[in-house]
Amino acid sequence: MSFNPKIVAFLCNWCSYTGADLAGTSRMKYAPNIRIIRVMCSGRVEPTFVLSAIKEGADGVLICGCHPGDCHYHEGNYKCLRRYKLLKKYLTQMGYDPERLHLEWISASEGKQFAELVDAFTEKIRSLGALNAKQIIETLT
Amino acid sequence: MNDIRIGVYVCWCGTNIAKMVDVEKIAEELSALPHVVLSRNYKYMCSDPGQDMIIKDIHEHKLNRVVVAACSPRIHELTFRKALQNAGLNPYMFEMANIREQVSWVHTDRDSATKKAKSLVSAAINKVSFHEPLEKRTVEINPATLIIGGGVSGISAALEIADSGRHVFLLEKSDSLGGLAAKIDLNFPYLNSATNLLNPLIKRVNDHEHIELFTNVSVNEIFGYIGNFKTKITLKNGQEKELEFGNIIVATGLKTFNPSAIKEYGYGKYSNVITSLEFESMLKEGKILTKEGKVPRNIAIIHCVGSRNSNYHNYCSRVCCMTALKYANQIRSTLPEAHIYQLYADMRAFGKGCEEFYAETSRKDIVFMMFDQRQDLPSVSALKDKNHSELQICFHELLSGEDVEVHADIVILMVGMEAHEDAKEIAHAVGISLCGNEFYLEKHPKLDPVATTTDGVFIVGTCQSPKDIPDSISQAKAAAARILATILKKTVEVEVTTAVVNEEVCCGCQTCVNVCPYSAISYIEDRKVSFVNEILCKGCGTCGSACPSGAIKSRHFTDQQIMSQIAGLMQMVLKEEV
Repeated sequence: MSFNPKIVAFLCNWCSYTGADLAGTSRMKYAPNIRIIRVMCSGRVEPTFVLSAIKEGADGVLICGCHPGDCHYHEGNYKCLRRYKLLKKYLTQMGYDPERLHLEWISASEGKQFAELVDAFTEKIRSLGALNAKQIIETLT
Repeated sequence: MNDIRIGVYVCWCGTNIAKMVDVEKIAEELSALPHVVLSRNYKYMCSDPGQDMIIKDIHEHKLNRVVVAACSPRIHELTFRKALQNAGLNPYMFEMANIREQVSWVHTDRDSATKKAKSLVSAAINKVSFHEPLEKRTVEINPATLIIGGGVSGISAALEIADSGRHVFLLEKSDSLGGLAAKIDLNFPYLNSATNLLNPLIKRVNDHEHIELFTNVSVNEIFGYIGNFKTKITLKNGQEKELEFGNIIVATGLKTFNPSAIKEYGYGKYSNVITSLEFESMLKEGKILTKEGKVPRNIAIIHCVGSRNSNYHNYCSRVCCMTALKYANQIRSTLPEAHIYQLYADMRAFGKGCEEFYAETSRKDIVFMMFDQRQDLPSVSALKDKNHSELQICFHELLSGEDVEVHADIVILMVGMEAHEDAKEIAHAVGISLCGNEFYLEKHPKLDPVATTTDGVFIVGTCQSPKDIPDSISQAKAAAARILATILKKTVEVEVTTAVVNEEVCCGCQTCVNVCPYSAISYIEDRKVSFVNEILCKGCGTCGSACPSGAIKSRHFTDQQIMSQIAGLMQMVLKEEV
């Protein structure tokens, strides 16, 4: 069976989730591998959410927030960016390819960009292959 | 913990969801999940029968949590929360799975769309299991309103509100009221004077006992939330003044496109190539003359300057076509012998009385010629043989299929509308978003065109998108009505999904105090813990993510809720593979 990436995405309510909705209302098409979780702000995305998604079996994690300067809560996206950079280092140290985690700014009007992002990220993860963290963790413990 | 009893409802949305997602299968298969008491599918969950079904089930099956899988929660979350409330349940014991905008409308394979939808519903079921009842909070509404921008939109809104006896603070950046409308000579399509229309309104504003007008002021950051905003403005004399108000109307207008960006038109190079706004001031002075002071024999009007052109702005500026026809009428009545050329890309005459105006104008010996925006734009150059005119315009005329030369003494460029350069700054100050073209983004393009995603902040007139005066005034009065309705209610419900500190767990590190963008968290010295002021908290959750000891709970988006949601998603995905 060919590998179908499993992707969890965290989208902020105001820009990115709205942008993803716009992709829908505009009937744009993208790969069905992504599963979206809505948070109010990308600043709410705790590093443990990302790790938990990997632990539960995700092959890749996407975070989307408002563009710099456009955050509904002024600066939550900057906090997200800081955590993201640290988290990438952490993932590398854990032996994961940091490319499996990606942060992108998607505004409420960027439905097209969102659809293209999902397709590109899905292909990226497809090329990286399965992560199988859940099985590995279960075998080890 | 009480027995968790969840009702799951999968919506068909007619065929919108059902044709791409096997809703019956999902409803059936998910009924086996823990705590799911019943699982149904129905054609339109948002309809009255759909909501009544939920209410009836809550009563009959003692449901204490509900999941609806349908459209985006941005559309119907409130609808279903109300249904829960009507059934006597706390409205927050509800979760929505978005299987339309984020599944059926974006995927093409029914099998994988169904699997995806199923995992999203499973995640929602998991999450709702951890939902807690949240109590609504109400705050009093300050009956004063802040209006930013003293153009025709801001003025209309101000008068509407002030006439009801409520106080209005009207801020204007320049030293006079009227905005762009004050620069216009006549209005289309009825050719009445803009000054006659505007001046009585301005006089009423100046004399109004309930309108406090501040000119030459700009907006500083606005703090607070619906019902209770405040800001400081710097007055002309350098003094600072603090204003408190319950609602905000943003009516900052627009600026016109700078045509020097379009090389073909030679604006700035040839002195007789002028913008529509420059021509307006000529009309206001009552003299149509070339820069050299000659009476023009040939006048060409070029449409769509900066509009409907992918190199500049893709959108239509909506008023230029009719304004160009207005010019033709005004030129014809002043200079009966002049040759008037309209170089248009498409004639748009959609407003009331506009198509009739077009028909009437076309009988006044005016030459209409069409050019193709996507091909070569008309090119303006100096005429070598200056016997007739100074300038010539060369272009391919679409209707005749011929290359055409038009001589002109004056070329009028119908410049489009674009967002102000300070639009972004004002958006930040009041906390609203911009759409792709830098105009302000409305809450819903059809259902809620004057509200924004920030409660208590409304957008009216051309700062929302290009529009004519009647549309601007309609929006201004709509926003005024919305605000008067909340003032009449005296109180408003505010965000309840705020953060809360578990003092038992809090170690007093104050990380949260530093990350809060609203200064809503303070450190209590004697108890050595952090404390969230729930009135100031807007529920972004950034403190919850930063707290190293997990002492802060972001209500409705708690760690537990989101973790269970992730588990719910992946459990289905792994079971079925994507």
